[in-house]
Amino acid sequence: MSVSEARLLWAVAAPRLWQALITGWLLATLCFALTHALPGDVALRVAAARIGDDRVTAEAAERIRQEEGLGLSVLTQYGTWMMRLAQGDLGRSLVTGTPVLAEITNHGRYTLVLGTVGWLLSYLIALPLGFWAGCWPGGVVDRLSMGFAVVLASLPTFLVGIGLISAFALTLHWLPPAGFKTGAHMVLPALTLALGLAAYSMRIVRNAVVEVRQAFYLTFARIRGHSSVGAFLHHGVRNAAIPIVTFAALQFAYLVDGFVIVETLFNYPGLGDLLVRSLLARDVPVVVGAALLIGWTYALINLAADLACLKLDPRRSMREAA
Amino acid sequence: MMASTKTWTARRPTRMAGILICGLLIVAAWAALTLDPLSQDLMKALEPPSLAHPLGTDHLGRDVLARVVHAAPRSLGIALVCVTGAAGLGIALGLVAAYAGRLADICIMRLCDLLLALPGILLALLLAGFLGGGIIPMLIGIKVALWPQFTRMSRSVALGVLNEPHVEAARLAGFPAHTILLRHVLPPVLRQTVCLASLGTGAAVMSISALGFLGLGLKPPTPEWGSMTSELIPYLADAPVQMAAPCVAIFLTVLTVSVLGEFVLARRTRLPR
Repeated sequence: MSVSEARLLWAVAAPRLWQALITGWLLATLCFALTHALPGDVALRVAAARIGDDRVTAEAAERIRQEEGLGLSVLTQYGTWMMRLAQGDLGRSLVTGTPVLAEITNHGRYTLVLGTVGWLLSYLIALPLGFWAGCWPGGVVDRLSMGFAVVLASLPTFLVGIGLISAFALTLHWLPPAGFKTGAHMVLPALTLALGLAAYSMRIVRNAVVEVRQAFYLTFARIRGHSSVGAFLHHGVRNAAIPIVTFAALQFAYLVDGFVIVETLFNYPGLGDLLVRSLLARDVPVVVGAALLIGWTYALINLAADLACLKLDPRRSMREAA
Repeated sequence: MMASTKTWTARRPTRMAGILICGLLIVAAWAALTLDPLSQDLMKALEPPSLAHPLGTDHLGRDVLARVVHAAPRSLGIALVCVTGAAGLGIALGLVAAYAGRLADICIMRLCDLLLALPGILLALLLAGFLGGGIIPMLIGIKVALWPQFTRMSRSVALGVLNEPHVEAARLAGFPAHTILLRHVLPPVLRQTVCLASLGTGAAVMSISALGFLGLGLKPPTPEWGSMTSELIPYLADAPVQMAAPCVAIFLTVLTVSVLGEFVLARRTRLPR
């Protein structure tokens, strides 16, 4: 890699990395502010989470106040909280007592698998359908897929999931309805995610293909004597891929929306399930850890998409270098 | 661009269906608002649809039709409050960013980037989770997730309009900033953001039901589509109709709102430039 290439890479990556840092700070601050904005005594609440609501005593709360430094001023607490986070110390879960890092990586693995499978599955649906629709705009496939996309986009994720459960698990008995033991348990949640994602990406693929097929350079390639397939493979694919790759990264936001619901519905032991459970239990350290992990992954995926677009589109790297 | 504006939405049947569904929903809702969504009768739990209970009863023997209908104004109302609030804030900040110079522009747009870099549901989840559900956290969470889109769009439209000769003329004639913004810049911005608002309303209805489904939305026993669905999941095999009712309500509401949005979009793109 030459020096100018490295500089270019850095120019693209730096804003995203900054964004990731600031996102992390914002999330951590928000969580801190929210815990302290709650009415009532923080120490009492922590004590209640640790030893059970009915066994909380004033002494126990006092001990926790001393241990955790909850008696100090809010600014000092904020400072120590940020210092600890900056050193990678996320603390321990208030409910189970296990380190938060272990908890979120453990659950995160499951979500990573589910999210990747769901995302790949969505493009398995969206790429062929979108391509077909884009080749014959206004045709039967185009109109059918449009209707399909509109209906899917108006369905909340949990509804798609319940529909799939009642069809494939309760009626046909092909697949297990919920939980996680074998690979078969992942089919329905991944499909639920994929359908929700495909509703949007199908249209993006279709529009990208339509646009490329109308482009002048493709006509020119045909005039020069390339076959239509050859011209599309040579000039079309990369151009069509740029909006699709950008959108694929943006979809991570929908993915987060989706997996929180899907994991709760299917009782799948992932990060979304952990986040919702710890929110309901007011387990603040775990919530912060899970939120940070989600926020940072989002920033990193955006960075990866930026770099991929740079590779796909040499025009852009020339512009950025200029 | 031309190809995408002349999609099915510009054709009649869907539009008519949207208006028809809208009308039907309003009439049905009017009739059913007289029913009581809260009265329980455990002897009549999970009854299939009958004349007395057209959509059956839920696990506590409450009338599902009454609950579905009573949830509608609440969900739509919250969604509309979110969207109007987000649109107001977003458009105002977008205009300021476009008009008030470089520093304001950079600050506002950086803030937007930051918020758009967070998955929207995460903010709503955190707020609702920490503050213990209820309307206010939900309102704030959804609004915070929605306004940056309005800011981005209104800023880019406003930047275009501000370069046009008639605005230049108004500026040279000495009109104050607020007159120029309100008379010349705001109308085209509003025209462009109407579609965004309708999409946002659909998204807000979905977020409200998603939070309800997760148990972080409106508090029970308030009828709400998302929480009604999650309450009935254990009885999925016994009560399919009761389960389907709130789901269909969400689906029809979101579909209607988005069809109305596409209708507005189709009307707008037909107008001569």
